[in-house]
Amino acid sequence: MSAPTLAPERPVPMSFIIMAAVAIHLPLLLMQLPLKSYDTNFHIFFASHYVHHWFDPWNPKWFAGFSQTTYPPLPQQWTALLSYIFGLNMAYMAVQFVGIVLLAVGVYRFSELWVSPRAASYAALASVFLGSESFLVYSAGQLSTTLAAPIYLNALPYFYRWLRSGSWRSFLKASILLVTAAAAHHATLLFGSAFFALPVCALVVMDARSSEDPEKTSVAALLIRLVSLALVAGAAIAVVLLPFWIGLIHNPVTQTPIPHPSRANFLLSPEWGVNYFVVPYGALILAVPFIVMRGSSVVRLRPLMIGFWAAFLVGLGGTTPVAHLLLGRAFDVLTFERFSYWATLLCLPILGSIIATLVDRFRLKALIPIAGLAAATCALAVSWSTFRPADASNFSVDSVALWLNRDGHDQYRYITLGFGNKLSRLAIQTNANSVDGESNSSRALPELTEFGGAALTSSKYFGKPGLDSLRAMLNHADRYGLKFVIVRDPYYAPLLYFAGWRQVDALDDRTVTIWSKDGVPPATPMNASDRPTHMQGILWGTLPVGFSLLAILVVFLPEEKLRNGWATEQPYLYYDLVAGGATS
Amino acid sequence: MKRGMSLAIFIFAATILVVAAGTIWPNASAISYAGGRKGGALGSTSTPQSAVEELGALLKLRATAKAYESLANKAEFAEPEFERDLAGSGLSLRTYATLDSFEVQPLHQSDSDAELLMKMRWSSVVGTFDDTRDLHAIKSGDRWVVQWPLKHQARVPPQVIPVNYLRWDVINRGPGDDWGTQDVEAPHVRIVDMHPVNRAEGVVVMGELLNEDVMPAFVSVRATLVSKDGSVLDSEGAFDMISQTLLPKQVTPFIIHFPGIPLSKVTSIRMDPLSVLVSASADPVVEIENQQYNSGHGAAATGQLTNQSGHAVNVAHVLSTFYDKNGQVVWVAGQYVDRALQPQTPVDFRVPVPQDLADKISAERTIVATYIQGNIQ
Repeated sequence: MSAPTLAPERPVPMSFIIMAAVAIHLPLLLMQLPLKSYDTNFHIFFASHYVHHWFDPWNPKWFAGFSQTTYPPLPQQWTALLSYIFGLNMAYMAVQFVGIVLLAVGVYRFSELWVSPRAASYAALASVFLGSESFLVYSAGQLSTTLAAPIYLNALPYFYRWLRSGSWRSFLKASILLVTAAAAHHATLLFGSAFFALPVCALVVMDARSSEDPEKTSVAALLIRLVSLALVAGAAIAVVLLPFWIGLIHNPVTQTPIPHPSRANFLLSPEWGVNYFVVPYGALILAVPFIVMRGSSVVRLRPLMIGFWAAFLVGLGGTTPVAHLLLGRAFDVLTFERFSYWATLLCLPILGSIIATLVDRFRLKALIPIAGLAAATCALAVSWSTFRPADASNFSVDSVALWLNRDGHDQYRYITLGFGNKLSRLAIQTNANSVDGESNSSRALPELTEFGGAALTSSKYFGKPGLDSLRAMLNHADRYGLKFVIVRDPYYAPLLYFAGWRQVDALDDRTVTIWSKDGVPPATPMNASDRPTHMQGILWGTLPVGFSLLAILVVFLPEEKLRNGWATEQPYLYYDLVAGGATS
Repeated sequence: MKRGMSLAIFIFAATILVVAAGTIWPNASAISYAGGRKGGALGSTSTPQSAVEELGALLKLRATAKAYESLANKAEFAEPEFERDLAGSGLSLRTYATLDSFEVQPLHQSDSDAELLMKMRWSSVVGTFDDTRDLHAIKSGDRWVVQWPLKHQARVPPQVIPVNYLRWDVINRGPGDDWGTQDVEAPHVRIVDMHPVNRAEGVVVMGELLNEDVMPAFVSVRATLVSKDGSVLDSEGAFDMISQTLLPKQVTPFIIHFPGIPLSKVTSIRMDPLSVLVSASADPVVEIENQQYNSGHGAAATGQLTNQSGHAVNVAHVLSTFYDKNGQVVWVAGQYVDRALQPQTPVDFRVPVPQDLADKISAERTIVATYIQGNIQ
């Protein structure tokens, strides 16, 4: 065994890390693999509305009319903007690709706060292979989460620098990036504050109390800076997402919780444990004990490790009582794969530090298995959308869209049954409006909110609550001008038959049947009281994108180096050796 | 370093503890996804009740193979027979039903065996249906195993059945052949009885609809409640509590519920029957045998359905109209038959009646609506 070296080695160049991201993810995105995921079509549907109605977030195509201000708009608006060049599908892939590249950069910059630049570079490289990232991109299709987190990670170094040094440029950059992250996904900022920002605050306090701190920042100064940033960023977020808050106050989330398997106990339901633990974590599961040991051993890493541990426990969903105790009723509303995603991001700096130690000690003997495990983790998560696809069958909705668009059929509303995530794809292509939809937080119709089922098109997967919701909607077809039910799953035929619907047409070699109800009046505009005002539409169409453009501009403002004289490499080397011994 | 290791050990221990707590005392979501297993017992079968609960959890998770493997009497029948017992033979409501919930009641227990009652509530596309089984559990070593009471399906020998039935076809329905855009006069239908009652859950409007015409009609009924000031309180349809396809001179009952609206608020009720011309046939003929009404505890109309035609009826909906001694409609109730009606094979039905109305009923009439896959016009 070769002796450990104390000589600091060079970090992996950022250009190499970005090339790795390009090499792995760009082909997959060019193949449009995320289109198979659960939510990708939903984001593209939102984007398609922004393409045609940039300043009018009222979308009549779902839920008999709903406001898109119920969901932070930034990723979809960027998709809409880029669609003028690439088309909607490829624009989505482009935005997602930016998120992946920003993640590598963000992880590097965030890790630099905690560990040496070299360890940070390993962390950034690891982010390219991260199972949770690939799981969210290719299986879940969570564009907003995977775009907001990198922006947030990129904001945190400025946040740290503002607290430490009081640099007004850092204040400006941190504020604008935080607001941009909120415009991409509000939940990331809300929970990120606890999991990401609190450890950074603790780090600032620890560094400020360090004898090596030349500036000797007082606790009072730190508090004033923290509060001022929180106030300014909070106020800006309140304004930028004002239509969202107005909508939330007007229609608070009171709907019956919809079951989600990320809330299962992964030991009692191992199939969900594989989906929400094994696949997102991959080989990181092997590293978790060492991450805890390293994070505990190095004093400076403790806040980060505790942040990781908290996110890890919450990400286990119903496996532990922690998430339920911490979140209360929100436990039944939130989904927990994003907490696992944040946990994996939080542990990356410590993982980078462990990898640096192992590579120092064992060189290729360490590097080869680590690279192999990283590749296997990424491969499993990418291929998971094939092993466990959101939709078992891929089919075109072109013929259904054509049918709805002809002969005045679009004067009535429709629902689909058995269309899965093609519901959004159909909504993009047809002029007709539906009472169904995929954005659960945007629903207001009592037939959808009172039972605990998600989209009607997949109601059978939600058991009795889902079918009760479907029956209630069919029973009130007259109220909503719901005249057509488009069926791709014969399971539903007996219900339609006994409830007075008649099959009137069949498409695609009779794999799709169209059912109609007599005496239903044409659809009329509904939910008018929920419609955002013109001013809200203007705000929604300008501020989120405006802040993102501002963020792009301000990050290019020159800044002093992140690591000042008070932060030396020496502590990392010392602790790398001590904890590295335990690791090896 | 020492403090660091203490912290690491604390984190490992705390993680193990909270995972154990979450598994031993799982929350409602976790219980639901684990098929209803409570108390975190990973397949515990240490008592007769827990053995039946474990079987129920497996059925809830649709792990039929595992459920079959767990049975004490699996040598008596093959796994496909077990599956047929649960899912029915031929397409029926049972085929895609999921076990929504179950209850286990111990009846008797000794050291070596136990009798238990398992009430299963299955969720199907048209609603829930119940299935109750008397289970026998026996002790095998330190665990209990369940004997499944397989219901053997009656098999009818091969035979030829003459089919002779009336049939009405509609030709040249209209431009685009689209439903509801017919250029012909609608069949004449009439509400022959209508009767609102005030129930605890709200107003209920019930009655009967007659097809007076000489051609079949596809019917529906909508009731609108109007208040004293002339405003509309609510408008609802009969949904599936009506037989939509009516042959000439046929009568169907209907019942319409208005939850949350007391009758005192209602001044008038507007009834809107709708009919359209439809192709129809008298096939399949489903005979109702041994029909009777029991007014005691658990009041219900019971009987047997026999499919007299030559092909299976996938789903049958039994609709019963209950009358008082004056011949006025007192209640309308329905029940879906969870098993397919195979030709010449009687299937029991039971249509329950609210207990408070049981003594008012002096007569009842039952009709059957049927669904046959692939036979939709």
